[in-house]
Amino acid sequence: MVAGCELTAMTTTTDHPVQEASAASPPAPGRSPRLTDRRLAVLFISPAMLLLLTMSVFPLLWALYLSFTDYSATRDVPADFVGFQNYADVLTSPQVWQRALTTLVYVTGAVALQTVLGFGIAYLISRRTRGRGVLTTLFLVPMMLSPVVVGLFWKFMLDAQFGVINSMLGSLGFGQVEWLTRQRTALISLIVVDTWQWTPFIMLIALAGLTAVPKYLYEAASIDRASEWFRFRHITLPMVWPLLLIAVMFRAIEAFRLFDLVYILTSGGPGVSTETLSFHVYKVAFLGFNTGLASAYGILMVLVVIVLAQFYLRYLNKLKEG
Amino acid sequence: MRYLQRAGRRSLPGRQARLATAAILAATALAACGGGDDGGGGGAEAASGAKAPATIPDLTDDPLTLSFIWFEWPPAQALEDFANAEYTKERPNVTIEVNTVPNANWHDAMFTQFAAKQTDFDIPILDSQHIGEAVTNGNILDLTDFVDENIDVDAYDPYLLAAYGQYPQAETGQRDEDASLYGLPLLGDTWTMIYRKDLIGDEPPKTWDEMIDAAQKCQDENPGVSGLAFHQANGSDAAAVTYNTVNGIYGGNLWNAEDKTIEGVINDEAGQKAMDVLVNEMKPLTAKGSGNWFIDEVNAAVAQGKACIAFQWIAAAGGLVDPAQSTLGTTEDEILDKLGFATLPTQDADVVPLGGMGMHISAYAPADRQAEALNFMKWFEQEDIQKKWAAAGGVPARTDALESPEFLEAGPFNQVYADSVSRMRDMWNVPEYAQLIDIENTNVNAALNGAKDPEQALDDIAEQQQQVLDSDGGGL
Repeated sequence: MVAGCELTAMTTTTDHPVQEASAASPPAPGRSPRLTDRRLAVLFISPAMLLLLTMSVFPLLWALYLSFTDYSATRDVPADFVGFQNYADVLTSPQVWQRALTTLVYVTGAVALQTVLGFGIAYLISRRTRGRGVLTTLFLVPMMLSPVVVGLFWKFMLDAQFGVINSMLGSLGFGQVEWLTRQRTALISLIVVDTWQWTPFIMLIALAGLTAVPKYLYEAASIDRASEWFRFRHITLPMVWPLLLIAVMFRAIEAFRLFDLVYILTSGGPGVSTETLSFHVYKVAFLGFNTGLASAYGILMVLVVIVLAQFYLRYLNKLKEG
Repeated sequence: MRYLQRAGRRSLPGRQARLATAAILAATALAACGGGDDGGGGGAEAASGAKAPATIPDLTDDPLTLSFIWFEWPPAQALEDFANAEYTKERPNVTIEVNTVPNANWHDAMFTQFAAKQTDFDIPILDSQHIGEAVTNGNILDLTDFVDENIDVDAYDPYLLAAYGQYPQAETGQRDEDASLYGLPLLGDTWTMIYRKDLIGDEPPKTWDEMIDAAQKCQDENPGVSGLAFHQANGSDAAAVTYNTVNGIYGGNLWNAEDKTIEGVINDEAGQKAMDVLVNEMKPLTAKGSGNWFIDEVNAAVAQGKACIAFQWIAAAGGLVDPAQSTLGTTEDEILDKLGFATLPTQDADVVPLGGMGMHISAYAPADRQAEALNFMKWFEQEDIQKKWAAAGGVPARTDALESPEFLEAGPFNQVYADSVSRMRDMWNVPEYAQLIDIENTNVNAALNGAKDPEQALDDIAEQQQQVLDSDGGGL
């Protein structure tokens, strides 16, 4: 939903001239005089608006309301207003901060790895002239799979006893690794699986940026006998960087609300060492059915993402202006 | 640019749009606030604890589908096949559907629908520990009058009847005849010890300490075979049931039910001893990476000959004697030459975990399906049907069915169940069960996988569970 908000925010600035022009123009010949262009526009956008209001805006406002109450979806007692108590409980809970740290480590590790690998693959593909389309399509396959399916087959592959990964390691002379049942390896496994699935996203955006770099810049650099590293450092990277940063933002927002892979691969374990914030909210909401508290928890997560995204966007704008 | 943006804003149908938006939000709010009360049969009364009638109302002759909800495991398919084959002889217009969800989603799948006061199932199969939550929230019908009128309660071990239906919870081994009943037994279950007769001998270990010694010896003598295999996962109730079992065997208690005390009870000396045995004596005898094992993984280890001794729910052990699923033999007899099934060893106390589930009736099901559900329950709890259920692979609850050859000869582990009935102990069935089990699961799983010191894990369980009980399930 947050990503959706950002997308909406980013796409509301360009269409006004067209709207203005069409609003002023008379109806086309043959159309009912009451059906002006403006009414027609309202008619067309109303289904989308209706959907947005009922499926996104209303649940958000309702959750906001519930976050100030002690409402429970299962207990048959009326909700009492508790002010900011739920917010205070979430913000002062050591359990929440522990999950926040886990989420931070995960987001940082996964997004950094995906950015390096995604850009690297895109750079290599962009230098090929033959088979570029096939390679790009092949690399995109993991992104097209459901995270639950990805989680399930990686769970089998990472199984310490029967998994293919340990089998391969064994044939190379390494010992068995407990990928999903040890504190450090479990979080690393989550990062690796997420990277396997989402590196293509970064790759795709980086590839678009690389393809858009004007050829004449490289030609000019060649005439000046610029080295490969110089061309990369002073032409390629600066041209692709803003686009890459947008991809990083999208991935970071997605990774911040990671739930499905955790649910399938580790169930948050061992213990709670791979429980992310989203997984914890799920437990508060559906094991304890503390709906008011879970709503406050969710609202705080949305706020964190919005605030961080705003800072990030400001940095991007500065970069653009610079 | 600035002018154009302003002009663009003006072009939106301001007042009309705001009015329409407000109307939609108000309508949605009303729908959200008022939804559910007009849902099926007993919906409106459910909040105050709807009662099923003592006599079964008139049943419809129209085609009707009676829906169960359970989790995905072999008994679910067995129940659907059995009910469609047998119940339709009496009620040909009825089709039975047993819908399943993954075990980890079982509680959520039922209770999220209960929360919406609208269920797509008529008979939820609740774990015995879910009863408190469902009763307190008015999600299932009170069957007390119906049971009094239609069920021969003397045909059951009192604790079995109480465990799958009574609330407030019965004391271990007893039934309070004045308490209300909200369900009837569907499938009895407990743990069985599975041991390799060809590796440790025909006689199973009698005490828990002997069992650990036998597992250690077997592991030492058979490279590639682990001494033990048991449930350790942090999903469902896997790791928690394992700890609770060892806790009971070493004389510990989970809580003091009377004054709802956990702190100082579960983590007393016996409790600490049990945790120490589990983490420091049993865990080292398991396969590497088995810290997330549950039913399927333990079965796989046994079927592939990778474990000397394993602990498993009886209802999930059927596949172990299937040659198609085992590497231990090409016929059932060959497998049974190598595998033995025994009741759990004792140590300081003689208890085994109570498993299995009961049938209940959704308070939000339509009246005609609630009536059919009552009829199904009455039919299912008859002596001859219970024996047929036993022959079809089910574990009955009636004493006459438990002692019948149909049951005892249906599987090599059924005698284990019959011998274990008098030793069963359950967990808490309070409304806060889901939180209590999660706390215990995550902490025991952490201790088993080296993420937490065992003693600290047990103290954390006691402290966190006590907080949940003291706050009536509130808080994080």
